[in-house]
Amino acid sequence: MRLLLLEDDAILGEGLRDYLRGEGHVVDWFGSLRALQAVAGEPYDAWLVDWQLPDGSGLDWLSRQRQRGDGTPAFMLTARDRLEERVRGLDGGADDYLVKPFDPAELAARLRVLQRRGAAGGAGSCRVGDADIDLAAHSVQVAGQRVALTAREWALLEALLRRAGRVVAKADLERLLLGADAEVQSNALEVHVSSLRRKLGRDLIETVRGLGYRITLSDR
Amino acid sequence: MKALPTIRSRLTGLLVAVALAWGLGVSAAVWLAVTSEVDELLDETLQAAAPVLGRLLSLADGADLTEAAAAIGEGAGQHEHFAWQLVGPGGLLLRSARAPAQPWLPLPVTGFADAAAGWRVYALPLANGTRTLYVAQTRDERREAAAEIAWAAVWSALAIALLSAWWLQRRVRRELQPLDDLALALARYEPLPPATALAAPTRRELQPVHDAIEALGERLARRVANERAFSAHSAHALRTPLAGIDLQLAVAEREAPPALQPRLARAREAVTRLTRVVAALLALFRSGAELQRRPIHLASLLARLPHEPLQLQVGADDVVDADEDLLSAALINLLDNAVRHGAGTLQVTWQARDGLQRLRLHDDGRGAPPERRAELARALADQAYEGRMGLGLMLADLVARAHGGELTLPEVAQGFAAELSLAPDPSAANPAVPT
Repeated sequence: MRLLLLEDDAILGEGLRDYLRGEGHVVDWFGSLRALQAVAGEPYDAWLVDWQLPDGSGLDWLSRQRQRGDGTPAFMLTARDRLEERVRGLDGGADDYLVKPFDPAELAARLRVLQRRGAAGGAGSCRVGDADIDLAAHSVQVAGQRVALTAREWALLEALLRRAGRVVAKADLERLLLGADAEVQSNALEVHVSSLRRKLGRDLIETVRGLGYRITLSDR
Repeated sequence: MKALPTIRSRLTGLLVAVALAWGLGVSAAVWLAVTSEVDELLDETLQAAAPVLGRLLSLADGADLTEAAAAIGEGAGQHEHFAWQLVGPGGLLLRSARAPAQPWLPLPVTGFADAAAGWRVYALPLANGTRTLYVAQTRDERREAAAEIAWAAVWSALAIALLSAWWLQRRVRRELQPLDDLALALARYEPLPPATALAAPTRRELQPVHDAIEALGERLARRVANERAFSAHSAHALRTPLAGIDLQLAVAEREAPPALQPRLARAREAVTRLTRVVAALLALFRSGAELQRRPIHLASLLARLPHEPLQLQVGADDVVDADEDLLSAALINLLDNAVRHGAGTLQVTWQARDGLQRLRLHDDGRGAPPERRAELARALADQAYEGRMGLGLMLADLVARAHGGELTLPEVAQGFAAELSLAPDPSAANPAVPT
């Protein structure tokens, strides 16, 4: 998943970024609200937001995003542990609330829950064309045979499955796969799309000319 | 606890006593005045009656003097109150009416005199001093007359006094009503946000009290606000670096060669323990504020708290009325104690006894020697924590005391037991704990 991490503490931010990258996520880490302007409007699968930031309130920023209609799942990561603060955080737009210090394994598990729920309508597994995909187990079978995918191929497949039935712009897919800082080669995305089609079937990913790519779930 | 005296009863008692004393004092004064005035009045009556009677006796000389005098007495309406004697030369009793057979006084006597048998006598010389007329009245009759007047005065004064006492009592109650109003306003007064203002006093005397309470409330609100801000900042300043350390260690543990991983795992365990202590301290720091009591499902709470490798045995339906943050802080530290003292199993039991919720944690660890357990128990009872016990027991005791209870260390045959007693919420209309 592509994650936006908004955390001003350098030790925590760096540790969290590296830990989540180790879990296979693409993490864009920012230390202030001002720095976020560089990625305004970009697609993320989840936001990880600290409440108290040097140039404002992470919760206020989150509330503004909600008022604009952005429903990206958000985790509030904060030292504020009082009941009324937890309630305020959740009412302010957070979908989940973790009090620092939290076990990173717990955050990773919650992100996996989000992953399962977001993709394939929350079923955890789905069928696209001839491919049976188990998102929880990270496994794909075609005609009963297991197919090995690279991390990028998985990320691409997952990004499209999370938006199944919708057209995803090429630029957005590049961001979702590689993050804001990554230098994207002009044909990197096409290479991964082509690879997935070769492994899982040519009809797996539909190209919508001039707009992007779309994946459509099959009836089971 | 002995009931305190009330201002109302003291003031009412004082005023009633003053009213009654005033009534009695006035009655006594009236009694003395009436007695004296009645004596004087009756003396004047005797003195006025004597010449009239003497003249009649002179006019009727030779006639039936007794009848004439009696007729005079009846005419005056005084026949039951006056007696007279006409005494001749040598003390010879010539005539008398309602009088003894012997002269009241030996001759010669003029004016007033007190005779034997309680007679008050006025002597008037007649016929150039050859005869003496005594007009007299008994002291009993005088006292009876005085008593009638005095009793009337006393009863009137007492009636007025009682009426005054009743009126004063009502008045005292009404005048003290603003104190009750102030108490009611104080009960509704909340200086902390969301604040409610203290109602204005209705008497000038209460204005300083009102102002002092408002000033106290403002100081309290400022202090609590500062403490909350400090607490929030402290929480951020302590928790965020701890989270950062743990995450850096987690990443390092994942990337480190296998030989280093146990060392990093131990470092993470130390961070976890430090985290528990920080959480407990922060929760306890906030305990100066009002407790956030609510029913807590004990098994669910314990399941959320870090307790590996302890096996917990807890009643499935036990519910405790407590501040969850504080109770968590106490339990975290008691669980940590059990782990560090080699316990593998911890039994948690809950019961209501003597009006308290009693939460007992009994582990199967190494326990403590009897003399050490007794020393700990004494230190807990005296709240003399410094240098006599670890942070865990101290925190648990402070949490229990914040809930109106205490931490005790019951004697057990094996392992170690600690019992948290928590008082039910005093503000609850129906406290959850039966007595």
